[in-house]
Amino acid sequence: MDPEAARTARESLDLAFHMSNILDTGLDRHTLSVLIALCDLGLNPESLAAVVKELRTEPPPPSSATPTTSTAPSFLP
Amino acid sequence: MEEEDHQKVSDLIKELVLRLLSQNPTSDSQPIDPNSTDFANSLRYAFRILSSRMTPSIAPDSAAIAESIKRRLATQGKSSEALTFADLYSKFASKTGPGSVNNKWAVLYLLKIIAHDKNSARTQLLDSSVLLPNLSDSRVSSRKQKGWENGVLLVSKDPENRREIAFREFVNFVKEENEVREEVLVRDVLYACQGIDGKYVKFDKTADGYVLSDLVKVPRATRIMVRKLCELGWLFRKVKGYISESMDRFPAEDVGTVGQAFCAALQDELSDYYKLLAVLEAQSMNPIPLVSEKVSSENYLSLRRLSVWFAEPMVKMRLMAVLVDKCRVLRGGAMAGAIHLHAQHGDPLVHEFMRRLLRRVCSPLFEMVRSWVLEGELEDIFAEFFVVGQPVKAESLWRDGYRLHAGMLPSFISQSLAQRILRTGKSINFLRVCCEDRGWADTATEAAAAAGTTTRRGSLGYGETDALESLVDEAAKRIDKHLLDVIHIQYKFKEHCLAIKRYLLLGQGDFVQYLMDIVGPELSEPANTISTFKLAGLLETAIRSSNAQYDDPDILDRLRVKMMPHGTGDRGWDVFSLEYDARVPLDTVFTESVMARYLKIFNFLWKLRRVEHGLIGAWKTMKPNCITSHSFTKLQQAVKLQLLSTLRRCQVLWVDMNHFVTNLQYYIMFEVLEVSWSNFLSEMEVAKDLDDLLAAHEKYLHSIVEKSLLGERSQTLCKSLFVLFDLILRFRSHADRLYEGIHELQARTMESSLPSRDKSKSRRQLGDKSSDPGSWIGEGRKALTQRAGEFLRNMGLDLDAIAKEYSSLLEGFISQLPVQQHVDLKFLLFRLDFTEFYTRSGPSL
Repeated sequence: MDPEAARTARESLDLAFHMSNILDTGLDRHTLSVLIALCDLGLNPESLAAVVKELRTEPPPPSSATPTTSTAPSFLP
Repeated sequence: MEEEDHQKVSDLIKELVLRLLSQNPTSDSQPIDPNSTDFANSLRYAFRILSSRMTPSIAPDSAAIAESIKRRLATQGKSSEALTFADLYSKFASKTGPGSVNNKWAVLYLLKIIAHDKNSARTQLLDSSVLLPNLSDSRVSSRKQKGWENGVLLVSKDPENRREIAFREFVNFVKEENEVREEVLVRDVLYACQGIDGKYVKFDKTADGYVLSDLVKVPRATRIMVRKLCELGWLFRKVKGYISESMDRFPAEDVGTVGQAFCAALQDELSDYYKLLAVLEAQSMNPIPLVSEKVSSENYLSLRRLSVWFAEPMVKMRLMAVLVDKCRVLRGGAMAGAIHLHAQHGDPLVHEFMRRLLRRVCSPLFEMVRSWVLEGELEDIFAEFFVVGQPVKAESLWRDGYRLHAGMLPSFISQSLAQRILRTGKSINFLRVCCEDRGWADTATEAAAAAGTTTRRGSLGYGETDALESLVDEAAKRIDKHLLDVIHIQYKFKEHCLAIKRYLLLGQGDFVQYLMDIVGPELSEPANTISTFKLAGLLETAIRSSNAQYDDPDILDRLRVKMMPHGTGDRGWDVFSLEYDARVPLDTVFTESVMARYLKIFNFLWKLRRVEHGLIGAWKTMKPNCITSHSFTKLQQAVKLQLLSTLRRCQVLWVDMNHFVTNLQYYIMFEVLEVSWSNFLSEMEVAKDLDDLLAAHEKYLHSIVEKSLLGERSQTLCKSLFVLFDLILRFRSHADRLYEGIHELQARTMESSLPSRDKSKSRRQLGDKSSDPGSWIGEGRKALTQRAGEFLRNMGLDLDAIAKEYSSLLEGFISQLPVQQHVDLKFLLFRLDFTEFYTRSGPSL
C-alpha cells in the first residue's frame, strides 16, 4: 500500500468519523473503520446497521442452543 | 480469493461484535471474553442478521442520501451542522483513487440509519425500525418459533434474487407509471380546460367529458377533483363548438345579425378566459415563495388552488353553455328574449355578466328599432326584427303592409311599446309612399334630438329601455302629428268626409231633390237600356242647378255615377248609385269595403228618398182642389157616395204612409246621420294618430249601418221595410190610376151634359186609342154611371187590399222594432207611434 493511498484512506476515515459525529451515531473510530471495511466488501449497509443497533442496545438473550460457531456464512457473497 | 474474502469478512465481523459488545454499558469495564457463550451468541446473531439482507432497499445514490441527511438535519433545526455535513460530504465524495472508500453511498447510508436508530431509540419510539420491518419481524418470530428461520433462509437462499429483483422492478415501474405528481395533473387540467387532451386527462366520448385515465392510480379525492375541474373544459368545448359551428355556416345559411353578435360576445368572453388560463399556466411553473427555507415548497398551483381560481370562470362558462343550448334553434328577437330571461338573476356577478352580453347581443336589434323609428327602414335581411313588412298596394299599406311578429318580440320590449314602434315606422313609410311627403325627415331628426340621442348608429343599448321608450315616444308623437297634419291639411280628410256625407248620404237636400226629379223618368226604364253617360250628364246638371255648384271642384270631380251589375228584370232605380273616388292616400280610410258599405247606405237612402218623392208626387194629383165636388153633382147619389168614400180611403191611406215615411226619413237624417257625424267630428279632433282616425271613422260608419237597420242583426226588419217601400210604390201607381179615372169621368160627365154629335164623333176617334174608356163613348148616361160605379168599386177593392196589406206589414214592422238592441231605434218607435194609435189598434202589441 503506497503512502498516497494510506493518506487518502486515513483522510476518508477522518471525514467519515466527522460525519458520524455530526450525525451523533455514537460510533468510535475503530468500529467505524471496521464498518467501512465491511461496506467495501459489499455487505448490505442496512444489515450492518441492524447488527450495530441490536448488539449495542442489549446482548442477545442466552440462547438455549449450543453455541455452534461453525455457522460461518458460507452463503455470503 | 473468495476464501480470503470470507475469512476477511468473518474476521471483521468478529472484530465488530467485539467492539460493540465492549461498549455496552452492561458489560461494564471488564474485557469481553472472545470465547464466552455471550460473545458466541452475539456473533451468531450478527451473522444471521447479515445473511438475511443481501441488498439494500434503495438505489445506490450517495448524493441523494447525503441530500436526505442534510434535509433531516435542517428540519431538526441544526442548520449549521447541515452546512458542515454538506461540506464534509463534498470532500468525502471527492476522495477517489486507491485507498479511498469505494462504497461511499453504503457508508453514508449506514451512518444515516445508525443515527436514525439511535435517535428513535432515544425518543423511545417503539417502531424504531421502520425501514426494516421484515427484519424485526423475523427476529421476533425467530425467537418464538424456530420454523420461521427456515423460511427466511429459503428466501435469502434464492441465488439470483429473481423474485426480489422482479418485485422491485415492478414497483419501480408502477411508481413511474402511476404515481402522477400533482403538478402534472394541474398541467393536464389546464390543458383540458382549453379543450386539449392532456397526458392523463383525456376527452372520453362515451362518458361525454374529460376523465382521468383509469390506469393512473391517484386517490379517489384527487380523481373527483380533477373531474370537477374538467367540467370547465367540457363547457368550454360546448361553447367553442357553438361559435365555430355558427361561424362556419355563416355564408351558406343565415345566422342572423343577432346570432353573430351573440357569437362575438361569447368570443370576447372566451378571450378573457384564455387570458386567465395563460396566467394560471405561467403561475403553475413557479414555486410558492416561502419565508422559511423548507425545501418542500411545491409548485404554486395545486388542484385545490385551481378549483378556487376556476370558481368564477366556471359560473360564467356554465351560463354561456346554458345560453348556447337555449339559443341553438332561436334567432333574432327570440334569441335576445331568451337571453334576457336568464338575465333576471340575483347574483350581481351573473347579472353584470348577462348585462354585458346582452348589450352586445341586442345592439343589432336596437339598431333596427332606431332606423325603423327614425327612418322607416327595415334593415332586416335575416328576418330577425319583430316588425315584418310585406309588399302590398299603396292603399292597403297601412293596414296590411307591416305587422308585428310576436315570436321575434323580446320580452324586454312591452307589447304597447312594440305597437308604438310599429306604428311610427309605418307612419313614416305611409308618408313616404302614399303621401309623397318629405317633411318627416326633419320631424324625425327633431324627435331624435328631443329624446337625447342623435340619429347616429349604436347610440342605444340593452338596459336602456327607458331611453328607447322616450325615443320611440318622441318620434311617435311627432311623426303621428305630422302624418295627421298632412292628412288633414294637405289631403283635406274632413272635407272629403263631409262631401261623402252630403252626396252619398244625401245630406245635400236640394241636390238630391233635383237629381231625383231629372233622373226619375230615365230610371223608370229597364236597366239595360240606360246609358251611364246620360246619367253622368244628368248628375252634372243636378250639381250645376243646386247649391252643390259652389263646392270645391276637386270634390265634385270625384263624384261619379255608378251602375251596379243588373239582371234582366231590373229597373234603373235598382242599379243606379253614386260613387266617390277617394284616391291615394285617403283610400287607406275609404277602402273598397268601406265604400261598399257607403254604397249600401246610399241605396237604402236613395230608395227611401224615392218613396218619399213618389208620395209627394201622388199628393200633387190628390190635392182636393183638382177635383171639385160640384162637377159630380149630376151623378147619381150612389155613385157619388162611392166616389167620395173611395177618395177618402185613398187619402187616409196616403196620410198613413206619409206619416211613416216622413218619420223614418226624419229618424235617419237627424237621429242617425247627424248624431253620428257630430260624434265623428269630435273624435276626429282628439285623434292622435292615423289608427285613432281609422277607428273613429269605423265607428261612425258602423253606427250609421247599425242604426239604419242595415246591420246583420236587423236583416229581417230591413227586408220588411223594403216590402213596405214596394207596397207604397204600388199604392202610388194605384192612386195615379184612380185619379186618372176620376179625371176621365169628370171630363166625360161634363161632356155628356153638352150633347153634340161632332164632339162625340171626335171622341170616338179619340176612344179608338184605348178600348176601356172608349167603350164608355156613345153609351148612354146610365151606362156611364154604371161604368163609373164599377171602376170605383174595383179601385176601392184594390185600395182596401193595399190598406190591409200595408197595415199588417206595418204592424209587423213596429212589433219587430222593440226587439232590436239598438237604443236609438226606440226613438223611431216613439215617433211612429206617438199617439199610441198602433199599439192600441194592434192586438199583438
